[in-house]
Amino acid sequence: MTELFDRYSGLVYSVALRVLNDPGQAEDVMQEIFFQVWRNPNAFVAGRGSLGAWLAVMARNRAIDSLRRRRPTDSVDDVVLASSCDLGSEVARNRLMEKVRGVLKDLPMEQQKSVEMAFFEGLSHSEIAARTGDPLGTVKTRIRSALMTLRKAISA
Amino acid sequence: MQDEHIAQEDLILFAMQAMRSHELAAVRLHLDRCAECRRVLAEVNGDLALVAVSVEPKSLPEGARQRFVQRLAADASRVSGAGAAGAISIETKRPARRAAMWIGWLATAASLLFALSLEQKVHMLNDQLAQQQQAAAQQAAANARAQQVLDVLTAPASKRVLLTAANVKPTPTGRAVYLADNGGLVFQANDLGQLAADKTYELWVIPANGQAAIPAGLFRPDAAGSASVVLPPLPKGVPAKAFGVTIEKAEGSATPTAPIILVGAVPAAGE
Repeated sequence: MTELFDRYSGLVYSVALRVLNDPGQAEDVMQEIFFQVWRNPNAFVAGRGSLGAWLAVMARNRAIDSLRRRRPTDSVDDVVLASSCDLGSEVARNRLMEKVRGVLKDLPMEQQKSVEMAFFEGLSHSEIAARTGDPLGTVKTRIRSALMTLRKAISA
Repeated sequence: MQDEHIAQEDLILFAMQAMRSHELAAVRLHLDRCAECRRVLAEVNGDLALVAVSVEPKSLPEGARQRFVQRLAADASRVSGAGAAGAISIETKRPARRAAMWIGWLATAASLLFALSLEQKVHMLNDQLAQQQQAAAQQAAANARAQQVLDVLTAPASKRVLLTAANVKPTPTGRAVYLADNGGLVFQANDLGQLAADKTYELWVIPANGQAAIPAGLFRPDAAGSASVVLPPLPKGVPAKAFGVTIEKAEGSATPTAPIILVGAVPAAGE
């Protein structure tokens, strides 16, 4: 378990901290995620995709829950993802991070902002639309387009 | 929504937990049934993982690892008890193992926890079984005793004996059966005391209309104290209120003489 923690705690903590901007809360989220893995080791199975990617999504979702001060909206075994990303080593993770950041940086600014607000700030699409003054459909399209662009770029 | 696939934009909303609660249930229901939408959702989650990976790496707060290890140790102790806590080893040094070793470790830890939980459950079930067996044995014994009681009460060979206080003089009793329409009367008495030679018992019909008692026959008991009066001459059509027995002179009397030795009221209609 400690090996798992050593390998992925940095990623989980960094994602939580990015959302919460509070080291204490981020550590709480990180501890809770690994603790749940400890208590329920079958929650993640190989068929769910990359473990690192799964932990990263769990970190984001739990951090958003914490941000909204609500109970967890999904259990650890609710999230299934399709990802072949290798996040097991720091080198591979850094390489992927650079690539993703490059793709995101090249996105239109509106798409970048929409993804940022939705993913890291936990705003709903309608909240983003209200904040930016853009139509809801436009916000939805921007986010979908951004994710599709990212997917294609990484899988290329 | 259950018939058509969910739009990708909505699955993105769902994956980001940004969906409104009233839409959430419908999406969950659809996802339970639709493999295609589950596949698309998994791809979306993969995309979101990429976004997560874009985060700048940050160092853990000091002591975070140690706090986590302590939490695991505390949980292991809590779950498995003090004796079993040592069985689950929590490494405090970073081991140089293959990348996939944690899976085996997790499986072992899970198996140990599962085995401990299973053992507790087996123990609990054994206790419940013992309690139920004890209750069943008690119930069987109670049933056997109830059956014995029933056998004694219902067996044709059983002797039925009425016991009374010893050395107590029996109480005289009499039974009268009277049919007013034709003036028919059958009377039978038991345990009557013996009388002097110049005395007799006399049976009386007390009319319901308040008229004077009608003499219904003289009698003397046999050696056992039993006596009877059968169909004495009585007027027809006289409803009776009661019957009585008195002791009279040997030749009888036209009116009853106190005290009344036996008396019995006719039951009201329906009694």
